[in-house]
Amino acid sequence: MSRAEPGTSSLYHRLVVYLLFIILLLPLAGTLLYSLATSWSASLLPSGLTFKWYLALWSDPRFLAAFGQSLLVCVGALLLSVLLILPLLFVVHYHFPRLDALMNILILLPFAVPPVVSSVGLLQLYGSGPMAMVGTPWILIGCYFTVALPFMYRAITNNLQAINLRDLMDAAQLLGASTFQAAFLVVLPNLRKGLMVALLLSFSFLFGEFVFANLLVGTRYETLQVYLNNMRNSSGHFNSALVISYFLFVLVLTWAANRLNKDKS
Amino acid sequence: MSFVSVQNLQKSYAGSTVFNDINCQIERGEFVTLLGPSGCGKSTLLRCIAGLTAVDSGRILLDGNDLVPLSPQKRGIGMVFQSYALFPNMTVEQNVAFGLRMQKVNSDDSQARVREVLHLVELQDFARRYPHQLSGGQCQRVALARSLVTRPRLLLLDEPLSALDARIRKHLREQIRAIQRELGLTTIFVTHDQEEALTLSDRIFLMNQGRIVQSGDAETLYTAPVDVFAAGFIGNYNLLDADSASRLLQRPVSSRLAIRPEAIALGLEGELEGRVRSHSLLGNVIRYRVEARGVELLVDVLNRSSADLHPDGQRVALSIDPTALCEVA
Repeated sequence: MSRAEPGTSSLYHRLVVYLLFIILLLPLAGTLLYSLATSWSASLLPSGLTFKWYLALWSDPRFLAAFGQSLLVCVGALLLSVLLILPLLFVVHYHFPRLDALMNILILLPFAVPPVVSSVGLLQLYGSGPMAMVGTPWILIGCYFTVALPFMYRAITNNLQAINLRDLMDAAQLLGASTFQAAFLVVLPNLRKGLMVALLLSFSFLFGEFVFANLLVGTRYETLQVYLNNMRNSSGHFNSALVISYFLFVLVLTWAANRLNKDKS
Repeated sequence: MSFVSVQNLQKSYAGSTVFNDINCQIERGEFVTLLGPSGCGKSTLLRCIAGLTAVDSGRILLDGNDLVPLSPQKRGIGMVFQSYALFPNMTVEQNVAFGLRMQKVNSDDSQARVREVLHLVELQDFARRYPHQLSGGQCQRVALARSLVTRPRLLLLDEPLSALDARIRKHLREQIRAIQRELGLTTIFVTHDQEEALTLSDRIFLMNQGRIVQSGDAETLYTAPVDVFAAGFIGNYNLLDADSASRLLQRPVSSRLAIRPEAIALGLEGELEGRVRSHSLLGNVIRYRVEARGVELLVDVLNRSSADLHPDGQRVALSIDPTALCEVA
């Protein structure tokens, strides 16, 4: 890659980048300021700064419960997907490489069907009968699993293609490792990066998911976004504090995951 | 009884035959090469011996025991891959120790053996590096060390030098041969490079389209090709059909004729006259394209000095060593 020459063109490049950042950050900065303001109406700047909205938020038991429930559902769904998708990916790529084409179509389904449509189907399927799960966190975990599937599958597949799966497995087996040992000791550690990316991406997406949570479970097992929706008629400052808290949480998580994922070298 | 004996081995894949009725014997401590163009079945044969690919029928005897029913873990065979296949998450040391770890060798023993084998491939100073911190040649030496440390009964090398650049390739192939001799290790080496095969091997199996076309030492393979394929694949033989050969030699020749380009000498006076059409400098050798009696021949001449160079268009006299004429089917 060539470096930009100093002078006007580099200035132009920087301007574009800064502009992009400003456009992206401006709403966030506004929300942050609003969440810290005592009151802000009919004036250019807020009349005073306060932490009271955050204090109110973080001492609201309903918020804490929603936060915890969101976490639980997301982590549950991701655990399920790791447990199911990793072995699946391994089998597809090692034993049945031709299935990859089929999988690529299958994993597009969660995108192809809009959440509103699929929730109607899910409500019908799981609303009554032996599998009645609507209104419980279980249906959310199951549903989120399907939503996470494309992220997980794609990211880990890319990672698998970057390592030479077949030769690594062959080499390990010739050195005396069983298929399981080879997969666990040789392949799995090399999928760490792809797995982390997949988990992070899915987590941030699922943590902010609203449509499924609202339609399938609603207030019976309130998640963060449903809580936010239910509080929409309360103080805007309070809601801003909620949004900023949510954003910061995801930010810190991303940063921490990136730190953990750094190369040892 | 040979140390390795492949008997009537058959393999087909998705309806097409990869090889059919392969038979070969390899003696203990021998270095043999499977040489052939890509797709001739040489790598598949190697993978069958390793147990990585199942065979349809036939037997592979190693020291008298049939390997076919055994899993690759139980065959006691070491293998080096073209792609190195080093484990990226492990250091050089851990890579090499992997086989010992699988065999549950205690850690003192294991450390000593790893040190010893790293010393053998001259990588003792790189034990703590990761594979991505090594050059291609170093990676392949780690892979070699990793397959040697378990003391395999048979070592398989699947085009181990093909991904390396020319200078490192030459150095490493000498190192591989030296180590093989030192350990007396029976080795099967797969390559499509005739120079590698000729310089390294005790014996060469030349393969084409799933058959062993010819086997023998480098000298035999080079000087006495059995058929057109062998003549075309090894060296830079002039291959003449019966008509051209008869015209050139002015005596009836009934089959195709192969003449090595270095078996023809160029002079200024002689019976067989020709004309230099073009030449190219290969370094220590000059390769002329010479036309004589309507037949175009490649002639290799040692590049002694630029004064001896025959310019294009010059009339020359050819003399062909009669013992180097080789009739091929």
